[in-house]
Amino acid sequence: MEKDFIIAGFGGQGVLLAGEVLANGFMIDDKNVTWYPSYGAEMRGGTVNCTVVMSEEEVGAVQKTSADFIIVLNQASFDKYVSWVKKGGSIIVNSSLAVIKKTREDINYIFVPITKLAQDKLGNIKMSNILALGALSKVSKLISLETLEKALHNVIPARRANLIPKNIEALKLGYEYDLLKV
Amino acid sequence: MATQVFKIPESFRKDAKYTFCPGCDHGVAIRLVAECLEELGLTEKAIAACSIGCSVTIYDFLNVDSLEAPHGRALAEATGIKRACPDKFVFTYQGDGDFASIGLAESMHAALRGENLSAICINNTTYGMTGGQLGPTTILGQVTTTSPTGRNLEYYGYPIKIAEHIALCDGTAFSARVSLDTVPNIRKAKEAIKKAFEVQIKGLGFGFVEILSTCPTNWKMTPQKAHERVKNEMMPVFKPGIYKDITAEK
Amino acid sequence: MTATITDKKVLMKGNYAIANAAVLAGCQCYFGYPITPQSEIGEFMSGKMQELGRAYVSAESELAAINMTIGACSTGVKAMTSSSSCAVALMQEGLSYAASDQLPVVLISVMRGGPGLGNIYPSQGDYFQATRGGGNGDYKLIVLAPSTVQECADLTYKAFYLAQKYRNPTVLLADGLLGQMMEPVQFKEYPYPEIDNSDWKLTGAKGRDARIIRSYAPLADNQCVYLEKLFAKYKQIEENETEWEEIGTEDADIVLVSFGSTARNAKTAAKICRQRGLKVGILRPITLFPFPTKRLQELSAKVKMIISVEVNMGQMIQDVKLAVNGKVPVRLIKKPVGAPPSPEEIVSQIEELI
Repeated sequence: MEKDFIIAGFGGQGVLLAGEVLANGFMIDDKNVTWYPSYGAEMRGGTVNCTVVMSEEEVGAVQKTSADFIIVLNQASFDKYVSWVKKGGSIIVNSSLAVIKKTREDINYIFVPITKLAQDKLGNIKMSNILALGALSKVSKLISLETLEKALHNVIPARRANLIPKNIEALKLGYEYDLLKV
Repeated sequence: MATQVFKIPESFRKDAKYTFCPGCDHGVAIRLVAECLEELGLTEKAIAACSIGCSVTIYDFLNVDSLEAPHGRALAEATGIKRACPDKFVFTYQGDGDFASIGLAESMHAALRGENLSAICINNTTYGMTGGQLGPTTILGQVTTTSPTGRNLEYYGYPIKIAEHIALCDGTAFSARVSLDTVPNIRKAKEAIKKAFEVQIKGLGFGFVEILSTCPTNWKMTPQKAHERVKNEMMPVFKPGIYKDITAEK
Repeated sequence: MTATITDKKVLMKGNYAIANAAVLAGCQCYFGYPITPQSEIGEFMSGKMQELGRAYVSAESELAAINMTIGACSTGVKAMTSSSSCAVALMQEGLSYAASDQLPVVLISVMRGGPGLGNIYPSQGDYFQATRGGGNGDYKLIVLAPSTVQECADLTYKAFYLAQKYRNPTVLLADGLLGQMMEPVQFKEYPYPEIDNSDWKLTGAKGRDARIIRSYAPLADNQCVYLEKLFAKYKQIEENETEWEEIGTEDADIVLVSFGSTARNAKTAAKICRQRGLKVGILRPITLFPFPTKRLQELSAKVKMIISVEVNMGQMIQDVKLAVNGKVPVRLIKKPVGAPPSPEEIVSQIEELI
């Protein structure tokens, strides 16, 4: 079984880091996994994305044109990637920065005001990316919060370890998004 | 009792055969290098990065481990040798085309990095081995096989004053220009080479000596005329002197 | 991101895996000039080599970088440089000299689009550059082609070993995709024996005759003898070191030949074909020189078609055709540059070809 994930947004929203945490999580769970970024003449504020492929078997292609789960953190990414979601797949949309609109019947839309939650509940919009992973954990049922917590320790360097508790909070907040009245 | 005034340096290969043209100064320059190596006790710890051109044959004369570099890359290879083995004595022996034309970037950056290396550059104002073409140091008006009516500004621009340029690099510890046209000048040349070697031993940075030399064959001159040309035509343009010496007392 | 020798897997970019492995393989000197998509290698090395008290130089050009590497290698230490496509082009002179000088230079070549400046996206357009070389004269480089990040590490070890063992410049030929992707990787201990080089390295002529490492051969007869010797060595490398991976070729009608990152997609394509009842196998050359010519010859006696799958306009296919020698049709599935054709694209092209 192979599952494909795409995370997309503005440069600076932590898209690549979120992918790295997710991929680390799958590694911790003993899955085969790849992470592949969009790379090029990137600039801050431009769009950026990464693809994470998780599989029980050897991973073949690392770049995809469709995915089971897609996280979009801004409007441009929502517009671009909604058609990439596989039939029966899910798209997690940052409704703080994208208009709530459903154009497909064959996929699940999960609208979460990610930026607003990060700002209001954590006081830091930079936590948006990790918060989105919390939501993904709930929606996909493919990776646990505990694993993602461990993954955070792999990714966040020791000298920034003070950021870990806040990131764990973000994970939980994302996981419980549907219980919150926002 | 007889006093020995001259001997073949130990660092000279016993089987070396003289392969330079009559009147060429390479022979003298290589002997000076050999003498300095011996007098400073460097022969057994020296590694040479050799260049392309007549200068490459230095490895046929010296009892020194040598690596032959591609044209212009001697100081890059010397950098690699020295960085790998900081305790060795590493030097290059290059022509002006090698050092200052095709290899100018490698040469100047070695000086700018302040590599603990010593570089000897033979300036004979021409590409000798390929048959006397215009090089980076060919002086204005000089006739070569590729400047048949003489070097003019319109087509060729100016020659480079190597020792002055190398002196401008912050990593340079010593930079001098010498000539081999007279015995006193040969003595001065040896002092300069020794100095360029000593700054490396002391870890002070890049040591450089530009040696004004003859190329009688390509200049189409007798050895004697060639040495007169060094004095009369080259030295007014390429003035001998010490352009930088960080060890000198102020 | 640093990894030590550990049982634990770490998630790492191919570029970092290569750099880490080089350090663990005992690389004492790194010389380089930045170019996308391999700049992480130099960035990593700049910190790590200084931390370990080893040599690092930000070279003024790739010309300088390869020649610094040659210089360091001449003293018998393990040394490397890394670069990409249009800048590896600048190193061809040095590689020709290193081959002639028989120096164990290790070059990490992370391919991007070409010709000319091209672009920074993945490509396999330097198959020729690596296996044929752009330098002058008759020479061969050993070329290793990783397909996963784990192989980026393992084959870096191997590159140092083979370079030392055969005194031959060795290229690890990766591409932008492998360089930039992350995958779990584990760093084992350098598994190869250290090679005694005391009979040729330059150390200063103490208590022995001076050594000269050179390629200048003024006498044609000597050069004839020398080249025959050099090529006898290449023959030995072919006999001993040819390496490839083979899946599902036992009963295959069609064999895909694909290397590097592209082979990942070709493998999946072969799997899909099997599910659809097509007997497709894959041969993945791990060494590009030496190329698994013999094995392809054997396979060509029993299969119906061989297809080279590459991200270029068709380069490796020439080696495939030389091996197959007209016995069965050889076809090409290619993408000029960028990410490899997707498994589905490969499958549909296979279906068109048969």
